[in-house]
Amino acid sequence: MDIDDSLDDELISTLPIHFSDSLSPNLQLHQFPLLTRPLQVPPSAERAGKRIVSRVKPNTKRYEIHVPVDTRPEVWNIDKAKEFGAFRVDDDREKNQEQKLKLKEGEEPRLSEIRLRSEEIHHQGVYVLGIVRDGKLHIQPINETHQMRPSLTYLDAQSRKNRRSGYDSDSDDGPPPDPDDPTPAVLQKKEKKAAGEAREVQVSAKRSDDKGGFAGISAARREILQLIRAEEDEAWENLEFCDIKTDASATSFESMFSQNNDVLRCDSDITTFVKGIKDL
Amino acid sequence: MAGAPPPPKAIPSLAKKPSDVTRQGASKLKFVPTLPQRRKKEYEPTPAIVPSTASKDGARGRGGGRGFEGRGRGSGRGRGRGGAPPEVTMTASGPFAMGPTLAGSGASRRSTPRSNFAPSIASSNSGSSTLGAGLSQTAPPTLRKDLNDLKGKGKEVKVEDEDVEVYSDPDDGVEIIDIDQVRGMDYMAPESLRRERKKVKKEKKTEEPGDVDVANALDLSESEEEEEAELEDVIEDFAAQVNIDSGDELREEKLYLFQFPAPFPTFVQEAKSSETGGGDVEMSDSTKKVTFGPDVKPAADATPISRTASAVASDPNEPAVQPLDGVIGRLEIYRSGAVKIRLANDILLDVNPATQPSFLQQVVHVDMDQKRIVVLGEINKQFVASPNVDALLNALEQAEKKPQATGMEGEEKLLTMS
Repeated sequence: MDIDDSLDDELISTLPIHFSDSLSPNLQLHQFPLLTRPLQVPPSAERAGKRIVSRVKPNTKRYEIHVPVDTRPEVWNIDKAKEFGAFRVDDDREKNQEQKLKLKEGEEPRLSEIRLRSEEIHHQGVYVLGIVRDGKLHIQPINETHQMRPSLTYLDAQSRKNRRSGYDSDSDDGPPPDPDDPTPAVLQKKEKKAAGEAREVQVSAKRSDDKGGFAGISAARREILQLIRAEEDEAWENLEFCDIKTDASATSFESMFSQNNDVLRCDSDITTFVKGIKDL
Repeated sequence: MAGAPPPPKAIPSLAKKPSDVTRQGASKLKFVPTLPQRRKKEYEPTPAIVPSTASKDGARGRGGGRGFEGRGRGSGRGRGRGGAPPEVTMTASGPFAMGPTLAGSGASRRSTPRSNFAPSIASSNSGSSTLGAGLSQTAPPTLRKDLNDLKGKGKEVKVEDEDVEVYSDPDDGVEIIDIDQVRGMDYMAPESLRRERKKVKKEKKTEEPGDVDVANALDLSESEEEEEAELEDVIEDFAAQVNIDSGDELREEKLYLFQFPAPFPTFVQEAKSSETGGGDVEMSDSTKKVTFGPDVKPAADATPISRTASAVASDPNEPAVQPLDGVIGRLEIYRSGAVKIRLANDILLDVNPATQPSFLQQVVHVDMDQKRIVVLGEINKQFVASPNVDALLNALEQAEKKPQATGMEGEEKLLTMS
């Protein structure tokens, strides 16, 4: 079938493929798995002059996009927003990422934005962006892919607080197994060790359950912890978020197109793909 | 048919007895009317239509009568669309349906790169205070009127759609809305899943064994058609692009995402003929980016090869950090609908549409120099470029004949060691 097809087939038209990597290490694909609508500011928030902002931890490649929420009372519970807002402030404080104080002049902190937090997705194969213009297919390699999902860490802060106040010394669940929060956890553990020497067995059991302690920790785990800590230690850098309607977007867009009609020399052939397969 | 049994099922057991005895059982009869009556309404038209269509299409023969009952109803209700062959039957429904239908429904494809998704209407025509009105039970939402051309006066809303649902009279304070139109009521309104009403109704009707054949046949043909449509789409994407007039302020170019096999062929800028006008925004990348392996995984393989190539073949003692820019091959469109990418050295790749995700994907330029993230647009469609197997096998065969191939491999190993 295939052979027949290719024999009978007639070439209708061709488009030259232009390759350019002018934006190279910085072209990214951002996926929003929970978003089935364009990323935009809700109309009500837009009227209030709110904008999407973003920030990054460059070394750990963590991006955050903060999208204002629709805070009309019909669709937004203000009490909850205040409650969660307070927890978010706590959470931010714990992570040394407090925002500049301009948002809260005397008034209570509110939850007014959704934070979309990135997670890098490793590529399978090579991803390339293609655009057809003037009868040419322009392609640009995409360097990184990130998935953006809402970050709800203020709920962690809330539950942490509730747990502390709720079952104070009674059941004492020990340090929360919260990977975001290693330092306080360690402190608590030490306290507990001091207090609970009489119940040695119990303590050790808990340790293996919870965090494993620092002695028996596996290398992989330590690595993970290190990563987490590195991320927490790194400071956010604010980035301006230019959506598609901005001039910046237009400029960058234009710069993606190849300007050159020279033919690039190719140093590989089709067998490279086969050779490139691992464990073959 | 399927229509006949249900009404008696519920009624007779209850209804017969009282009527047999006396009329004293009036209290028992009380709740009977509500449900069955509505059903009768739905089915009443059926007998009237069936004979007529069946007689018209009698030539179709066995099973046709039954099969067409469903279709006949379709044509009766759905304003003539029932007769047309492409009723979608076998498409995935539910959440999965959204991807292809959203991204790939040819006619309604957007021309701007703004968005793949239904525009949030609330943003375009937004009366400030009426925005949330659809959610409160008070005022009739003006927004909705604009959207759907409804004349509903706050209470009862009847969409003049193909499939008009008949609602019972609204109670006080209860507003009846069309769940399929919910999305348009408010910015925050949830998205309603697309449903194919035709399909549902048809399935209801084709429960009898005689119909199965017909239904299956239909399914097959339709899925084929769909595939074809998909293929056509590929062409359309590339062929129809040429004559686009970009008079709009918005950019017309669509963004496509291609997935290539792992080590992307290495390309080298030929000699110094290029002063490259390509340096536009910034080329500050200082990593050894002669080729672009996504330096995550295949780095071990891809990068060394490319470096060998450039080091051995071309002069640059240090891989210049000049962005590559130039022609690397061509995209071929065949009459059969096949689309191929032909690069240098007989690298032939088949291009096929990939699974289209239903969610938002943006291409973004992270400009750390100017501290900003610049959105370039949404991905409109995804393609997979895979090596053409015939070409690949030929090439492998030839490579085996030549001793070069082994030399190449040796080099690779050497390099990875170092």
